[in-house]
Amino acid sequence: MLEQLVFYGLSVVILASALGVVLLRHVLHSALLLGLCLAGVAGLFASLGADFLFASQILIYVGGIAVLILFVVLLSGRASDFVLKQVNEQWMAALLVSGIIFGGLYHIFGSTQRSPAQDNLAPTTFSLGKLLLGDFSIPFELISVILLASLLGAVLFSRGDS
Amino acid sequence: MGLYHYLSLGALLFVIGLFGALTRRNIIGILMSVELMFNAANINLVAFNRFLHFKEVWGQGIVLFIIAVAAAEVVVGLALVLAIYRNLNTVYVEKFDLLKG
Repeated sequence: MLEQLVFYGLSVVILASALGVVLLRHVLHSALLLGLCLAGVAGLFASLGADFLFASQILIYVGGIAVLILFVVLLSGRASDFVLKQVNEQWMAALLVSGIIFGGLYHIFGSTQRSPAQDNLAPTTFSLGKLLLGDFSIPFELISVILLASLLGAVLFSRGDS
Repeated sequence: MGLYHYLSLGALLFVIGLFGALTRRNIIGILMSVELMFNAANINLVAFNRFLHFKEVWGQGIVLFIIAVAAAEVVVGLALVLAIYRNLNTVYVEKFDLLKG
């Protein structure tokens, strides 16, 4: 009972705020709702037993990416944005494409199990650390190169003309 | 709550993000929609991990990598947005037509 309550509550929060992100005219509201949507996904991770992912989703997505997007929204707006249309002319075709893709996805996952999972919740931090430094050690080193490259790229692109 | 429910939530979130990425005029809105699609994929991975391979944490490890790559992508993307905004003075994607001839 509690599980249903948590899942449907979080689903309503996630889907409503995602629709707000996509449809709202004011891009600042979209950015704030994106933070809410990412926090809802973090709660879903917690209800799925992924405690470390819950923490990293809050830290990286809600605390990092959403705040970064908010900064850029505040830096790059104009007053005329509030009256301009935020959706392009092809929105009906986009709706059609999205509906067809959802139909295809539903055709694939519609027959999966609806029974609850086995009850074997345990903290995942230890096994995730062993995985990252064991089987995933080469991707783990590569991701540090990617982060360094993105750091350099961000500095390079956002530097003024000097 | 079975795998079905989590997969349907992930598919709905993915489709919403896809619609946003196809229709938003503002490039920051497109970036936010892409983030929604990443999160839909993450929900699917964690749900598969929980329901089908609950003794391992491979799915959660891949989600960690997706989060790191998404963070890197957003950092570079937003720096590019700011650079474009400084040069063209707009954030609407149909105005980005320097290569149009």
